[in-house]
Amino acid sequence: MNNDLRRKIIDMVVKGRDGHIPSAFSIVDIIAVLYGECLKYNPEKPDWPERDYFILSKGHGCLALYVVMERYGFLSRKDMDLFCKPGGILGEHPDCTQIPGIEASTGSLGHGFSFAVGIALGLRIRNKQNRVYVLVGDGECHEGTIWEAANVANNLQLGNLCVIVDWNGSGAQLMPRDDLPAKWKAFGWNTVFIDGHSEEQIKSALMDVRFCANGIPNVIIAKTVKGKGVQMLEGHGTWHHRIPNEEEYKIIMESLS
Amino acid sequence: MSQKKIRQQFADTMLEVGQSDPDLVVLIGDISHFILQPFAKICPGRFYNIGICEPTIVGMAAGLARVGFYPVVHTIAPFIIERSFEQIKLDFCYQNLPGNLITVGSAFDYSNLGCTHHCYDDFALLKSLPNTQIIYPASSAEFDILFRQTYRNESLTLFRIPENQHEYPIDPSAIQFGKAIKIEEGKDITIISTGPQLGNAVKARGRLLIDGWDTELIYVHTVHPLDMPLIRQSAEKTRKVLVVEEHNRFGGMGHDVLQGIYDVRGLQFASLAIDSFVHEYGSYEELCSGLGLSVDGIMRAVKSNFKK
Repeated sequence: MNNDLRRKIIDMVVKGRDGHIPSAFSIVDIIAVLYGECLKYNPEKPDWPERDYFILSKGHGCLALYVVMERYGFLSRKDMDLFCKPGGILGEHPDCTQIPGIEASTGSLGHGFSFAVGIALGLRIRNKQNRVYVLVGDGECHEGTIWEAANVANNLQLGNLCVIVDWNGSGAQLMPRDDLPAKWKAFGWNTVFIDGHSEEQIKSALMDVRFCANGIPNVIIAKTVKGKGVQMLEGHGTWHHRIPNEEEYKIIMESLS
Repeated sequence: MSQKKIRQQFADTMLEVGQSDPDLVVLIGDISHFILQPFAKICPGRFYNIGICEPTIVGMAAGLARVGFYPVVHTIAPFIIERSFEQIKLDFCYQNLPGNLITVGSAFDYSNLGCTHHCYDDFALLKSLPNTQIIYPASSAEFDILFRQTYRNESLTLFRIPENQHEYPIDPSAIQFGKAIKIEEGKDITIISTGPQLGNAVKARGRLLIDGWDTELIYVHTVHPLDMPLIRQSAEKTRKVLVVEEHNRFGGMGHDVLQGIYDVRGLQFASLAIDSFVHEYGSYEELCSGLGLSVDGIMRAVKSNFKK
């Protein structure tokens, strides 16, 4: 699924000489469904007041977001070609001061979620119906601010908020006791567990979220595979932040053809 | 005369401003809860005692700013400024978002609570970031006037509320954001003070006069941006400048003053500031005294650092 988006990610990394391929591959299927089936937005008016908000808290997965945003008209081919190049607007972490449609500049882990909680609270104060989605990594869940924000959002009953956890096993490399569904349930959240590479399950989970102004917030724990789609890239080895050479590029592209 | 505490003025100002401005939201970290209840009642849905999680409070405030609010974050200085510095840097400043940080317990106001509750680096930290302003209102009137002048501009503004006031009467019409105030004219030396230290500077001026020093006094309530034109004008006249501040010497107001006047011919310069952790206990006044941030300390600094 989404091999075309994965190929674009590879091309951007090779051209830009930088990027986190496996982190993007683990979330690209989720982001494709979000933008394709779920979020309300207008690429002609990225600040459209009625839009839904999506915050990629694990900012290093941004290549997945960029290729989807290009598909839906936020970014141009030229923007993509200038990834990590002078004069471009796309770097290895998303910068909302430069990129239309990016709601928050993220990169340092544990920031985007609290920021999203503030957005959700602000929308509720104004009696707005916009929905707020935030995607966090399981490694990011090592950060204390994730659990501060989870605690606060539940106590404020921010039912207009949906967190998606990219459970690709990064966190478990260091902290193997990572029963994330149990942790989120313990923090009082409506918790759903899915296969984060199944279009059907992603779509179903997103459509089933019970949004409300005042109520229990929602979390979708998406079991994913880091580097999903290319066997060579899968797992937690050296590919986390590596650029394919010519031979590797061919192997990867063949796998994605 | 019993003066209204600046912290109470903060609550009163929130109440008044909040009634006319629906974009004002107050987030606190479990201090000043009771004095803010009038605001909470009159402005329902715009007051949140979030809890003991300061980085998240700051991040949330930035999110509120993202959807058009002018947030106020209020708690103890080190927990906003030092603990949550990355949230200030990335969530507010990197993203060009406006907001207001209102601290109590700066410097060593919580004298007996020790170094965990002290904060003498706030000027330096905030100044290092773009799009920031630092206001140190050492009277209730200054807080009220300067908050109304600035809270809704496009910067992140720190209001450092001291526990003690300088108790020097200042004409309210003279209180303008970004403008230092010339308290007294003089020709022999310039003393520039900020915060409650103005009170000591005023008293020291009287004693210095007896000793033959005609002192020009400048008071700074806006630490950043600093009113360098007024300061430089005075330095060019007296060529002797003493800065008095309850802040770390590194990155404090003294650094900025010196950077702006280093090329004044024949300049003599000294500053009274904080050099390290303050491990001593005692009252605020006792700690000030030990650090030379006192009338006697100013007298000693003038006599040991400057030649007529």
